[in-house]
Amino acid sequence: MLVLKGIAASPGVAIGPAILLPGENFALSRQYIAENEVAAEVKKFKVAMQNTLAELDGCEQKVLDTLGPEYARLMSTHKLILQDPAFHTAITNKIEHEQLSAQAAILFTLQELAASFHKIEDPFFKERRNDLFDVGKRLANNLTDHKDNFLFSVQKPSLLVAHNLYPSDTIGLKENKILGFCTDVGGKTSHTALLAQSLNIPAVVGLSTASKDVHAGDTLIIDGENGLLVINPDRYTLSNYRQIQRDLKKTEALLKTINHLPVITKDGHSVKLLVNFDPRTDTKENKHLITDGLGLLRTEFIFMGTPVPPSEDDQYNLYVSVAKRFDMRPVTIRLADLGADKMPDFPLDEFDQDENPFMGCRGIRLFLKNPELLRTQLRAIIRTACEVPAQLRIMIPMVSSVEEVRHVRRAFNEILADSAAQGKKPVNKVALGAMIEVPSAAIALDGMIGELDFVSIGTNDLIQYLIAVDRVNQEVAHMYDPCHPAVARTLNLIIQTAHKKAKEVSICGEIASDTKMLPLLLGLNIDALSVTPRMFLRVKNHIRNTNFEQCSDLAQAALLMGSSDEIRNLIEQNNEHENP
Amino acid sequence: MIQHHVKILNQLGLHARPAALIAQTAGNFACDIHLTKDGVSVDAKSIMGVMMLAAEHGSTLQLTAEGVDEKEAAAAIKTLFDNRFNEEF
Repeated sequence: MLVLKGIAASPGVAIGPAILLPGENFALSRQYIAENEVAAEVKKFKVAMQNTLAELDGCEQKVLDTLGPEYARLMSTHKLILQDPAFHTAITNKIEHEQLSAQAAILFTLQELAASFHKIEDPFFKERRNDLFDVGKRLANNLTDHKDNFLFSVQKPSLLVAHNLYPSDTIGLKENKILGFCTDVGGKTSHTALLAQSLNIPAVVGLSTASKDVHAGDTLIIDGENGLLVINPDRYTLSNYRQIQRDLKKTEALLKTINHLPVITKDGHSVKLLVNFDPRTDTKENKHLITDGLGLLRTEFIFMGTPVPPSEDDQYNLYVSVAKRFDMRPVTIRLADLGADKMPDFPLDEFDQDENPFMGCRGIRLFLKNPELLRTQLRAIIRTACEVPAQLRIMIPMVSSVEEVRHVRRAFNEILADSAAQGKKPVNKVALGAMIEVPSAAIALDGMIGELDFVSIGTNDLIQYLIAVDRVNQEVAHMYDPCHPAVARTLNLIIQTAHKKAKEVSICGEIASDTKMLPLLLGLNIDALSVTPRMFLRVKNHIRNTNFEQCSDLAQAALLMGSSDEIRNLIEQNNEHENP
Repeated sequence: MIQHHVKILNQLGLHARPAALIAQTAGNFACDIHLTKDGVSVDAKSIMGVMMLAAEHGSTLQLTAEGVDEKEAAAAIKTLFDNRFNEEF
């Protein structure tokens, strides 16, 4: 038995025999051909070329459906590369003059092109190297007689192991009896991860050596809950995981039965339950969830991996599609929280990479220095509100003072006025609120609450800044503690201040999805929680089994406690009491 | 044969998107179209060729078109450059 640790990319547990994705390396069947074979070989290459082009045409739509427009665009770049006369001529030349086999000609041409791409210093160009190989691999596969996609030939339900899955590999996955997959490379937002989530099959990525350690036919367990791959498990581990698999299925089935029920505690206290939404990872399952709206739409991703900032049109199209996706229920769009670990590829005004980026120029600070980025995003949102009957809420990230709120409010009002001058008014009022994640904003919230329509607490960063711990720093990460007395007291201060002015408060950090912390949050009288779609029904189930009166007592007791241990004990005792 | 000097006005130079635009546009014409920079000449119909010029902001390229529709082709490609490939910066 061997256990590898990777990154949990898609939840669930899959158990079954391993299959390995072949063709990771080009195995040359034949390098040279005879002179009289040249014409036939060139023809073979041209036929493969046509077939590949047809394949790419075919999967463009599928990719659009499963992976979204970003990857669909990639497919059209692939078509351009395939049709590139340079690619073409180089390959034909190699076949005709060097008498290389079509396969070898493709391989060597790829290597040459990749090498010249490598010389270019721009990382954007370097990345295109992968595209080249994806195209080349398809082309080479089409040369051989068994043209069928390997995945289509899989007979029995199996777990797929690959070094890397290219978008084109992943198209036919589920209908081909793949129960789950794991790869050596990739991260949580890689296309492989997104695809697994949309297919609703477990996946673990970033396993480094999985494709070398696994042999075809090995029994595998892919644990997408914990990011583990177990190779040839012993009998004990196997039966353990079969039990986990059964439990997961049972819970899932139970949770589905509460989807249409209201979010209300046993004693009749109701809260709003929203989802944090990422259009790139939306799934059929998620679409079935009956939610109170979208609590957090992160918009950084539209600014990343692009050499130019997204246009107003691009953003407008995105916001309209998201508003429609939520049937015009409230949609909270957070202005792009760029900076720190999310730096776009395009140049920014007055920007030096800070030494301490999490306390540097990020979020609204960065937008105020690049007012055109701010205004474009605000214009796109207001335009959406004018065109469709959406209920849009704009959330400002990283607010630390009332001046920042005023700056945004001024720009917001100017754009509203411009829009009104052209005869366009929002169908529904657009709300402007702040994400409270900086302690100064929490403490001085009374000074800015008058300028805000709502507040949402970003607990991940708030806790990080309150305790002054960097969660990424191994030395101090353990000190990051949601049970710290300062956390409960700060949440209480924010909620009380907002409620005095009758403003709604929601929480959109990870703490909202943590069912252990739920009684404390409810007891502090939070109005809304925004959770990941995956946790939505679990959280709803917990709220429905909770007594609000007890939560209030618990929260009042916690506010008087002076140490994390006391609060943690209190919460754990309460949990045992609730779920004996 | 038609020759023009074209200057790269967009901040980011000839990255993938402008290269794709040039190759797509050039592909609509029958004539031969070439771009030359620092003595390196590439086929404008080749996305990879154009990208490999790695031409940065401010640099000047020579545009050559030769064939039946050379006039229209040269004008179309020149317009792309003049319009900064529709990029704001």
